[in-house]
Amino acid sequence: MSLLVRTHIRLARASIKQNRTRSFLTCLGIAIGIASIILILSLTGSISNLIKGETKNIGADLIVIRPSHNKDSITSIVEELTAANSFERSSLTLADISTVSEVEGVTATAPIAISTNTLSNEENTVPSATILGTTPEFNTIEPLALRYGVFLNEKNSDTAAVIGHNLALNLYKTSNPVGRTLTFQGQRFIIIGVLDEIEESVNFDNVNFNNVLFININTMDKLMGSTQIQQINARALNTSLLEPISENIVKALKDNRYGDTNFSVSYGDSISHPASNLLNIISTLLALVAGISLVVGGIGVMNIMLVSVSERTHEIGIRKAVGASGQNILMQFMFEALILSAIGGVLGVFLGYFVAFLVSLVTPFSPFISWQIVAITIVTTIAVGVIFGTYPALKASCKKPIDSLRHYV
Amino acid sequence: MSVLDNTIIKLNGITKRYGYGDTTSYALKDFDLEVKRGEFIMIMGPSGCGKTTLLNIIGLLDRSTEGEYLLNGEDVSDISARRQARLRAKKIGFVFQDFNLIQNLTVIENVALPLVYVNRPRTVRLKAASNALKRFHLNEREYYRPDQLSGGQKQRVAIARAIVSDPEIILADEPTGNLDSRSSSIVMEELRAIHEEGNTIIMVTHNPSLTVYATRVINMLDGQIDTDVKTVADHNLPQPIEVKAKKRRARKISRTISSEINPEEEK
Repeated sequence: MSLLVRTHIRLARASIKQNRTRSFLTCLGIAIGIASIILILSLTGSISNLIKGETKNIGADLIVIRPSHNKDSITSIVEELTAANSFERSSLTLADISTVSEVEGVTATAPIAISTNTLSNEENTVPSATILGTTPEFNTIEPLALRYGVFLNEKNSDTAAVIGHNLALNLYKTSNPVGRTLTFQGQRFIIIGVLDEIEESVNFDNVNFNNVLFININTMDKLMGSTQIQQINARALNTSLLEPISENIVKALKDNRYGDTNFSVSYGDSISHPASNLLNIISTLLALVAGISLVVGGIGVMNIMLVSVSERTHEIGIRKAVGASGQNILMQFMFEALILSAIGGVLGVFLGYFVAFLVSLVTPFSPFISWQIVAITIVTTIAVGVIFGTYPALKASCKKPIDSLRHYV
Repeated sequence: MSVLDNTIIKLNGITKRYGYGDTTSYALKDFDLEVKRGEFIMIMGPSGCGKTTLLNIIGLLDRSTEGEYLLNGEDVSDISARRQARLRAKKIGFVFQDFNLIQNLTVIENVALPLVYVNRPRTVRLKAASNALKRFHLNEREYYRPDQLSGGQKQRVAIARAIVSDPEIILADEPTGNLDSRSSSIVMEELRAIHEEGNTIIMVTHNPSLTVYATRVINMLDGQIDTDVKTVADHNLPQPIEVKAKKRRARKISRTISSEINPEEEK
């Protein structure tokens, strides 16, 4: 058997070499399909790594409480991500903040309530700015570098505000508007601090801090009538206590709402899960779209194999006359299709990573290589070879020897 | 009993029918034949009399519509295609009119081809092929392509391929049909030499002058045997020992077979 396999491989190599251009073009079809899958997986992989890296930067001792419904469904992932724009009422309340802060082992608690609203001052109006209501403890949980002024603290008045770098430029045309005022919902706020420009646009709060206005959550509650709390961040005393503390938080919050579990408590890597999950969904979808080009490549393989089979009908007849069985012929053409797609696969991996490398030169995404991606490539390549090689090979193996012998090209 | 031992091919009432109803035509009609080890049979007859069909059925490339085919005493008329292929690989060597060499393969690879399908390692295959080619004085052309050879050389390559796996029967379908007379006689001399080693050869030809090489000449007409004659060559050519000893009886039996067929022909 292994002898025959070696012979089939040698034959396939000879046949591919003989029709160099044709084989190369066929392989190229597969290579482009594989390359696009590699590119997408490698880029989304690197984005997902970026997100996870952000969570690590924030700190390993963080516990995040988010409103939730059904944790696993795709729609809930999307909802969690787009919570800032959600009109559904959040299940977290102001009372929950103090409940969480009273749990033993929690050293700091900061809510995040996001609202989009119009901000204006004497000169300019920003129609849809992100307003983030929180407490002074936000700065202890997630220390933000300030370029000017100070962050919200207990001594400030309720109408103090801290502004993001880009929003400051948009609203005041200066990077240092400390002491200036703005109006929001008819209430005047005074700028007491400006954030430093932040490079990373992705973070676990799902907010771009460059474009945000921080105000006190109680003021926000009064102005808006109600507050949508998207999440509550809590810092644990000790990393090793994360599990018992989060269990206690769950218990306390459950007591608050008579046993309902319409919230989720996460810590460590799972904080970034909603984002990673969505990314996984998107990357799978993109890979499927790229898979279409692979199907096209596969059809190319099938087409060329059919041509090859009909060109070599006479050869098939000779081989059968000297003792080849249908199975021998089947294997011969199967191997040819497999080797064609394998060469395409290898070409595709190099092409994909080369393009990913080119992309990484102009973006923060570094090419991401993992055994999963390589495994996916190998499996898809073999699958393409088998799926699109079977029909031509079957056609070859079923030819009658005397008919084939009479067939001349 | 020992005569039966020597029978390599036995056809009983082989019929090959094409088409249905009004369009039915017969390539072979109730054909009986017994071939003994060591015979060199020439089959002659006009075009369309079923010579090639007969050869294809004997060579397990085609199946009869009806009838029984015993190869070495084993009924092979209804075996699977896979088993047919195995038997072709082991027991039968083909020589065709138009050589049927694979153009992409070198001469030596062409000769070694049948050994691929009986699972011989590559070195063994090439060695056997090289020996076979040496025998036909083609060892200097081993790495030529078939289209770089003359017609006679191609046919000798094809004969080398037919004998490389040491088959029991060699079937030749007009092997000299595409050759000039000089190449023809060289090819026939090679076939004669193979026959002298005790091989069974069944050859289809149009050329009556070639019958001098045969031990038995069968004339076919309309899918049946017209005449079946043992030739002088039968006495002159050396044959395997058993065949020689039982020659008289064998001839007697073949005569009774043809007399069995003849009355049917008259109907």
